[in-house]
Amino acid sequence: MSRPALIDRLADRTTTLATGRPGAITLLMVASLVLLAAVAALPSIWPQTFSALHPATIDTDPENMLAHDEPVRVFHDEAKDEFNLYDLVVIGIVNESHPDGVFNPDSLARIDALTEFVQGLSDPKAEPGEYRGVVAVDVIAPGTVDDIRQDGPGQVAFSWLMETPPVTAEAAREIRERAMRIPMLRDTMVAGDGSALAIYVPLTHKDFSWNVREAVQEFTADWPADDQVHITGLPVAEDTFGVEMFYQMAVSAPLAMLVIFILMWWFFRNLVLVISPMIVAMVSSLSTMALLIATGNTIHIMSSMIPIFVMPIAVLDSVHILSEAFDTYRKFNDRRKTIEHVMKSLFRPMLFTSLTTTAGFLSLALTPIPPVQVFGVFVAVGVLLAWLWSILFVPAFFMMIPEKRLAAFGHDEGDDAGSRTLLGRTLHATGRGAMRGRVAVLFGAVALVSIAAFGITQIRINDNPIKWFDADHPIRVADRVLNAHFAGTYTAYLELHDTSTGSLETLSAEVASALGDEAEALADRGLAERAAIFEQAAERAGSVDADDAATYFSELQDAIQSSADASDDPFTWDDAWLVVDAQRSRLETFKQPEILEWMIELQNGLLEDPRVGKVNGLPDIVRVVHRELLGGGEDEFRIPDRAATVAQTLMTYQNSHRPQDLWRFVTPDYRKTSLWIQMTSGDNQDMEQVISTLDAFLAENPPPVGIEADWFGLTYINVVWQEKMVNGMLWSFMGSFLVVLTMMTLLFRSFLWGLLAMVPLTITVALIYGVIGLIGKDYDMPVAVLSSLSLGLAVDFAIHFLTRARQVYRHNRSWTETAREVFGEPARAISRNVIILGAGFLPLLAAPLVPYQTVGIFIASIIFAAGIITLVLLPALITTLEKPLFRRLAKEA
Amino acid sequence: MTLRILFALTLLLSLAIAGAQQPPSVDEIVHNANLVAYYQGKDGRAQVQMTITDRQGRARERRMTILRRDAADTDSLEDNAYWSEQKYYVYFQRPSDLNRTVFMVWKQLDADDDRWLYLPSLDLVRRIAATDKRNSFVGSDFFYEDVSGRSIDLDRHELLETTDSYYVVRSTPKDPSDVEFAYYESYIHIDSFIPVRISFYKEGGEKYREATALEVETIDGYPTVTRSQMESLETGSTTVMDYLSVEYDVGLPDDIFSERYLRSAPREHLR
Repeated sequence: MSRPALIDRLADRTTTLATGRPGAITLLMVASLVLLAAVAALPSIWPQTFSALHPATIDTDPENMLAHDEPVRVFHDEAKDEFNLYDLVVIGIVNESHPDGVFNPDSLARIDALTEFVQGLSDPKAEPGEYRGVVAVDVIAPGTVDDIRQDGPGQVAFSWLMETPPVTAEAAREIRERAMRIPMLRDTMVAGDGSALAIYVPLTHKDFSWNVREAVQEFTADWPADDQVHITGLPVAEDTFGVEMFYQMAVSAPLAMLVIFILMWWFFRNLVLVISPMIVAMVSSLSTMALLIATGNTIHIMSSMIPIFVMPIAVLDSVHILSEAFDTYRKFNDRRKTIEHVMKSLFRPMLFTSLTTTAGFLSLALTPIPPVQVFGVFVAVGVLLAWLWSILFVPAFFMMIPEKRLAAFGHDEGDDAGSRTLLGRTLHATGRGAMRGRVAVLFGAVALVSIAAFGITQIRINDNPIKWFDADHPIRVADRVLNAHFAGTYTAYLELHDTSTGSLETLSAEVASALGDEAEALADRGLAERAAIFEQAAERAGSVDADDAATYFSELQDAIQSSADASDDPFTWDDAWLVVDAQRSRLETFKQPEILEWMIELQNGLLEDPRVGKVNGLPDIVRVVHRELLGGGEDEFRIPDRAATVAQTLMTYQNSHRPQDLWRFVTPDYRKTSLWIQMTSGDNQDMEQVISTLDAFLAENPPPVGIEADWFGLTYINVVWQEKMVNGMLWSFMGSFLVVLTMMTLLFRSFLWGLLAMVPLTITVALIYGVIGLIGKDYDMPVAVLSSLSLGLAVDFAIHFLTRARQVYRHNRSWTETAREVFGEPARAISRNVIILGAGFLPLLAAPLVPYQTVGIFIASIIFAAGIITLVLLPALITTLEKPLFRRLAKEA
Repeated sequence: MTLRILFALTLLLSLAIAGAQQPPSVDEIVHNANLVAYYQGKDGRAQVQMTITDRQGRARERRMTILRRDAADTDSLEDNAYWSEQKYYVYFQRPSDLNRTVFMVWKQLDADDDRWLYLPSLDLVRRIAATDKRNSFVGSDFFYEDVSGRSIDLDRHELLETTDSYYVVRSTPKDPSDVEFAYYESYIHIDSFIPVRISFYKEGGEKYREATALEVETIDGYPTVTRSQMESLETGSTTVMDYLSVEYDVGLPDDIFSERYLRSAPREHLR
C-alpha cells in the first residue's frame, strides 16, 4: 500500500493507545522527564558523585559563536598573548558641574580609592595556582601611569602622574595639564574637554566583567551625584547580557506561558483541559534543555532561547487538537469518538508540520556557527518531542477528564454552531471575500511582495552587543556618555608584522662584506693587526651554518665572543661584534625610522575615518620620549633619524614604573607591532568601514618593506562571526526551503500543491525581512535565526489549510463547498492559534534586552502574517488555479 | 641550582668570621650584609650579562661592564668605617644600538644619590630624578636603586627570626611615601652575610617582587654573588645578572667617574 495508508494506520494506532491507556501515557511522559531532568541536574548539584555525567555549564561569551579553532580566534588569542593585551572594562567618571570637571581634589581622591579597589578584584573561581581577575599592573588610571616630563635642566622624570591625590585645586588641574601632554593618555584616560577621566581595567578572563561592574557600582554607590560613574566596554556588555539573559529567560518564558494559558482558557472555557497544552509545552522545553545539558552542550546565548522557540510550536499542535475537539465535541458528546474524529483529520497535517519545522531548524546545523548548530538541532528535537506528546498526551488527558467536567466545553449544538460566533462569521466572510475578490487579493499580494523585495535590498546587516540592551539601560547610557567624552570605548587592534625573509646566503654575504669593508678601512689607516681580526670575523660570517637569521646571528656572535675572550685584543673583536650586531638590528623592522614614519601615516590615514577616535602606537611613544629628552619643545615631537636613537629612546621609555608597557605595542624582536584603535562605535558596519579605510590606505601607501596587516580584537571578531552567520543563514534557509518544498510535494503528491503550500511561508519571510529593511532595523543575530522559525510556523498553517481542503474536497468534490467547510473548524483552529501565540509572545516586548523584544515582536508578526496570508491568499489562489489543482484529486475520488 | 648555592655556602663556612659568640644585633647583621653586597674591596670591576626574560619566555640580553669605587679605604665594620660614598660607572656594550650608553651613580650617605644616563646616539647626558630611583633600570626588573644598593639608613630593620642558616630581617621604610613597598624581608646567610633572598611586599602582605642570589663564589677572598635574579611577580618577568668576571681592588682612578667620561669611555678600565 502507499504511504498515506501507512500514516492512517499509524494515526489509528496512536489514537487507540492514547485513548485506551491514558494513565500509562501520562506516567511514561512524567517518567521520561524525571529521568532526563535527573541526568541533567544530578551532576550539576553533586559534580563529584556523578562525575561521569555532564553538569550544566553556562557560556555567555559571544566569542564562542566561532569555533575555538577558527583561524581568526586563534590569531586573536595568540596576538593578545603576544602583546600582553587583555579585554578591557572601561570605567568613566564624568563631572559636569565642577568647573574643573573631575580634576578637583575630592573627585580625584575618590578615583584613586576606586583604582586601588579595582586593582584588588580577583575571581574566586580561579583554580589553585591560577590567577583570574583584574590585571592590576596593567590598569590605566591616574594613579598607575607615569608622567614623562622635564624636571630641571637636563632632567627627564618618569614619575607617577598622581602618586597621591592632590590637596589643592591647582595641583588637581596640573594633573590634567600634564596628562594632556601625553598623547597616549589624552582622549584615552583624560577627556579632551577635561571634564572626565577613564580607568581601563584589563581582565584575565572576560567572564569576570559582570562582577567588576557590580563591585564598582557598589563601591561608588555613595559617591555624590556630580561624579557620575559609567561602566562600559564590550566585555561588560557581553557578560552582563549573559547574566541578564538568564533572568530574562526565567521571567519571559513563564510570562508568555501565562498569556497563552489565559487566552486558551478564554477560547476553550475549560480550565482543566487547557492545562494539557501547557504541560506539553513545559515537558517538551524542559526535556529538550535537559537533553542539551546531559549531552554536554553549554547553555549559550543561543541555546537559552530554545524554550522560547519550542513553546509556541508545542502549543501550536495542541491548540489544533483542542480547537477541533471544541468544535466537534457537541456533535458526538463522547470523548473517545471526538478524539478519534479529531485525530483522524489532524494526524497527517500535524505530522507534516512537525517534520517541516524540524527540517527548518535542522537546517541550522548547516551554518558554520557552533552555537547556532546546537540551537537548530535541539529546537528540532524539541519540536519532535512536542509533536509526540501532543498526539499522545493531549488525547490521553482529554480521556481522563470526566464527561461531566466537559459540560461547558464545545459549542452548544451541532456542527455549525462555531460558525455563528463572531470569529466564525468573520472567517466565513473572509473566505468568501478572498474568493470573490481574488484578482484584488492577488494584485495586493504582488504589490506587497514587490515592496518587500525593495525592502530586502535595503537590509542593513549590523550588530553590536552593546545595542542588545534597551536604549535607557545603564550600559547603553555609559556607552553614549563615554564615547562623547573620549576617543572611544570600542577597541580593535591591528597587528603589523614584517614578512620579508631574505635568504640566509644574502644575509651572510652582507654581514661578511660589512666586516670586510671595515677591515679594508682599518688596513688603509695602517692598522694591519686590527684589520686581520676583522678579516677573520668576515671569514666566520661567511661560514656559519644556520636555518634562520636569528640562529645565524646568535651563532656568529657566540663565535666572535669566544674569540674575544681568547684574544690579546678583545677590544677589536668587540668592535667586530658590534658591526655584526648592527647588521642584526637591521632586522628589527619597527625600530627603523622610515617604518615608524610610515606607521604615522597609517595612523593618520585611519584617523581620517570619522569612526576612529584614536590610534595608539609605537611612534607615539618614540615621539613623546624624544620630545622630553630634547627639552620638551613641540618641534622635537618626531621620529629621530637613526634606529639607534629610536632604540635609546625606547630604552629611556622603559626606565619607568611600567617597563612592560612597551611590549603591548611591539614584540621584543621588533618584528611585530600592534596599533590600538579606539572607536566610538562598535557597530559591525562601522568596523567594516574602518577595515576598508585601512585597505584603501594600504593600496595607496604600500609599506616600505613586506609588512602584513591583520586585525584582531573583540570588535573585529564580531564582524567575522556576523559575516559567517549571514552567509550561513542564507544557505541554511535556502536548503530548508528546498527540503520543505520536497516534503510538501511528497505529502500532496503534487508539485503544484507543494508550491502552493510554500506561498504563505515565502511571502511571510519576504514581508518580515522587507519590513526590517524598510524600517531600518539592523539584521542581527536574533533576526537571522528567526527565518527558521518563520519557516516552521508559516508552513504549519498552510499545511493544515491545504490538507483539510483536500480531505473535504474528496467528499464533496466542489471547491465552493469545500471552502465553506474549511473556513469552519480548520480556519478557526488556525485563527485561534494566531491569536493565542501572537498575543502570547507580546509580553517579550517589555523585556529590557533587545534580542528578546526582537524575538517577541517577530514571532507575533510571523504568526499574524502567516495566518492572514494563509486565510486570504490561499483561497484566492486556489480559486484561480482550481482546475489544475483539483484535476487529479477529482479523478482519484 | 639550590645544590650549587648550598655547596658555595658550605665553602663559605670556612671564611666565616670566627669568635662571635654572641648573636649579632640586627644592626650588625644589616651592616655586614651591606658590606658583603656592595662594599667589598676598595673598588671592583665586573663584566655582566643581563638577561631579561618575560612571562612568555622571550629573552633580551644586555652586556655591560660595572665599575665601582668606594671613598673609604677600608672594609672595617668597626664604627662602620667601610660605609662611605661610592661611585658606579655602568658601561653598556651590547646590543649595538645601546653601545656606549653609560649609567653613572654617585651614592651619597646623607643626601639623595646622583644618577646620570648618557645616551650616545643623542649625545645626551640625562640626569635621573631622585624620585625615579625605583624605576626600571634599562627595562629590566631591577631598579636603579638596586644597582648601587638602597641605603640601609632609609629603612628600619628588625630581626624576625634566626634559622639554622639565615637571619630573617624585615625592613620597613622610614618614609613610606618614598617607595612602592610596605616592607621587605631578607634572608641573610648566617656565615657569609650574603642576602640570599629579598622579598618585597605590598600593604596587606602581598609579595610582588623577589631578588635571589642564585650562585655565589669566592673571588679574591670575597664571597661574591655571581648570578643574581630579580623577579617581578606581577608581570611574570625575570631578570638574571650573570657576573662573567669579577675583579676586586683593580685600582680605578676617581676621575673616570665623572660627566666628562660619560661621553668618552675609559676603555682601558673597561676590560
